Amino acid sequence: MRAALTGLLLCALSCSRPAATAAPPGTVVIALESAPAALDPRFTTDANSALVADLVSDGLTAGDERGEPVPALAEWQHPSPLEWQFTLRANVRFHDGTPLTAADVAATYRSVLDPTMGSPKREAFAAIAAIEAPDPLTVVFRLREVSASFLESTSLGIMPAHLAADGPIAPAAVVGSGPFRVAEILDGGGVELAAWRDAPDGAPRLARVRFRVVPDGVVRALELANGSVHLVQNALDPDLLPWLAARPELELIISPGTTFQYLGLNLRDPRLADRRVRTALAAGIDRNAIVRHVLRDTATAATGLLPPAHWAYTGDVAQHPYDPARAAALLERAGLGRAASAAHRRFSYKTSTVELRRRIAEVFQHDLAGLGLGLDIRSYEWATFYDDIKRGNFELYALAWVGVRDPDIYFRMFHSTMQPPAGVNRGGYASPAMDRLVAAARATEDRAERRRLYAEVQRLAAEDLPIIPLWWAENVVVKSRTLRGFVPAPNGSLRSLATATFAAPAPSTAVSSARGPAPATTAWPPHSYFR
Amino acid sequence: MLRLALGRLVLTLPTMLAAATLVFLMLHLVPGDPVDVMLGESTQAADRAALRRTLGLDRPLATQYGAFLLGLVRGDLGRSLVQGTAVAELVAARFPATAELTIAALAVALALAFPLGLAAAARPGTWLDRGSIGLALLGVSVPSFWLGPMLILLLSIHWRWLPVSGRGTWAHLVLPACTLGFGMAAILTRMTRASVLECLGEDYVRTARAKGVGRLAILTRHALRNALGPVVTILGLQFGALLAGTVITETIFAWPGIGRLLIDAINQRDYPVVQGCVLVIAACFVIANALADVVNAWLDPRSGAAAARSNG
Repeated sequence: MRAALTGLLLCALSCSRPAATAAPPGTVVIALESAPAALDPRFTTDANSALVADLVSDGLTAGDERGEPVPALAEWQHPSPLEWQFTLRANVRFHDGTPLTAADVAATYRSVLDPTMGSPKREAFAAIAAIEAPDPLTVVFRLREVSASFLESTSLGIMPAHLAADGPIAPAAVVGSGPFRVAEILDGGGVELAAWRDAPDGAPRLARVRFRVVPDGVVRALELANGSVHLVQNALDPDLLPWLAARPELELIISPGTTFQYLGLNLRDPRLADRRVRTALAAGIDRNAIVRHVLRDTATAATGLLPPAHWAYTGDVAQHPYDPARAAALLERAGLGRAASAAHRRFSYKTSTVELRRRIAEVFQHDLAGLGLGLDIRSYEWATFYDDIKRGNFELYALAWVGVRDPDIYFRMFHSTMQPPAGVNRGGYASPAMDRLVAAARATEDRAERRRLYAEVQRLAAEDLPIIPLWWAENVVVKSRTLRGFVPAPNGSLRSLATATFAAPAPSTAVSSARGPAPATTAWPPHSYFR
Repeated sequence: MLRLALGRLVLTLPTMLAAATLVFLMLHLVPGDPVDVMLGESTQAADRAALRRTLGLDRPLATQYGAFLLGLVRGDLGRSLVQGTAVAELVAARFPATAELTIAALAVALALAFPLGLAAAARPGTWLDRGSIGLALLGVSVPSFWLGPMLILLLSIHWRWLPVSGRGTWAHLVLPACTLGFGMAAILTRMTRASVLECLGEDYVRTARAKGVGRLAILTRHALRNALGPVVTILGLQFGALLAGTVITETIFAWPGIGRLLIDAINQRDYPVVQGCVLVIAACFVIANALADVVNAWLDPRSGAAAARSNG
């Protein structure tokens, strides 16, 4: 019996495979908190999938740091309002060696438009009436109606026509034309990419990029400290940052990001339908204290959804700095003063189970208690929380928008017809003035006019407060000093790995802020984010 | 003994069916929709409905349950809603990692518990006894999400002996196996001590002692062998706790096992994968307990005969 047990044990232990973990030189190891679910660019919906797919596939266009479209695989002409013509770069090859032609572009877009394909990105291309490929380097899109944000959506990654015909392509089989090709799918959902020697802008100098899934935040930090992971982006607890930054071999880079945290309100609740109450909540929360003490300066108090770097941003909007006296006065006038019944002064607040989110909720609770308001914190696991939010089953909640590039999102967020399931106007906001503005802004292609209209949208939103802006999360990167030339992009893209290198560590200050232009990046669909 | 083993195996079937049904119902009753989690924000309602239809999630719950049971009978665990891969394939890919970790943790637990428990029983009331019981108490009170990172800090960061996380070489196995094994060792130590102490008071021990048998031989050959019964039963029960414990340990050490698969599947509401994982874990639990009975029968033929009779 003892021998049998020992034998069983040895057998199980010898199943351990040889080291797949000691990274060979030239391999950058990046820790992700969860596995990318898909690498097929037509099916990437989560942030980590988009992050990895962005290195593998190139689109016709990409977005610069202001969110403006710039040429990637193609230059464009816009001969008439309903026609967009793209001229492809010559001599671009897919990772399987075949040349990238107009037929591949047309096949990729047609497959997204095919309802049986089930691509979640179909809606973004609803305006396309026809796609033509008159010669191998020319693609023409004919639209049904004027679409102000069509160009932004053409950052969709292109895949070979023979693959595009099939449904979701398994991660190991995805072929693109980006700087890195998929080399291997690792145990536990990680991915290893290898440099593509025929990349259009030259082969990357890094031989390989390995994405490892390390679910625990503390362990991600320990991996960095150990030197077995070289880069972690936006996946570290703010409390661990000083410890990591103090280590000489690591570098903390804090740069502007696009993630927007907000407080959602249910305007169907008669109390929250009153603008004075919403304004009181906005003025009654000490954002700056949370940013400083809980988030350790990894965020900036926000004035609205679009970050300052965005082409349509305006900072000329009503702001609601922390002012408990003003908040109390507003509540008094709205009938929610201390004379009101305790039940009337209580709100429920939903958030995720993430520790940091719960701590922020406790600060809200403390701030609002000072105004005589009660806050019941309910923390839920993601799928349950998200389900409640989508159903409008909430009074207050906190959530974030990640990767917003196209300001047309305002239409889906604030137009009165865009309540779920049609759109993401979850609070049930309805304002004829807002409806007019967001509808007009999507109907014109004139950039200056759109900028003017979206400035109006931002002003109205800051006054009406259908959602209360909290802060923009900065991009927080901790990386090994041996990794040189990595520039964080506002939307979190890792495209600069294509030009990064491994070099001897150089001494410099522990905290630096990123300077220099970020590379153009593929945009991904905006989504809610719960960390 | 074969009959006993077979009888136990047959008894596992209703247990498994109950577990499967419970998991199926609970999962579908909990709010959260796999289609929403998969598609994110920028998808039209029509596309959502289409995906729901493709995945068969628009059918009535009873129909889905029927299909699930029918699949089970055919040995088909279904396909993952998210990845489209067969559940059996996903589980099979992750199972060796969990088995490896569980067995290694069990080895760590036994290697600690037997010497400590025996030492404590041999010198009851002394510092050795109090020390080993204190250690056991510590082991059971320290949560693995704290112990894991502490072990990493000491052994990986400070001394640089072992890798931090992940699976690959032997060295990768040490920290997760210790983290998981310590908690189990605690209970086993106490159990071994109590059980051995009890046996040391029996008549046959006094007889052996009177015959002049050495102290060590009495402890290992007479007392321990007879004390193993309850220890093995606890071991079988603990095995289930061990499997549940792997969920946390696998998360900490980025260990690609069933526990991680289960957590990810729950977060994504990937019903077939959750069902598959729970079924496999339930099966392991039931088999471990059946195995404990069989081992007990081998250790003590009296209990085996009784068990065989009660099984009919």
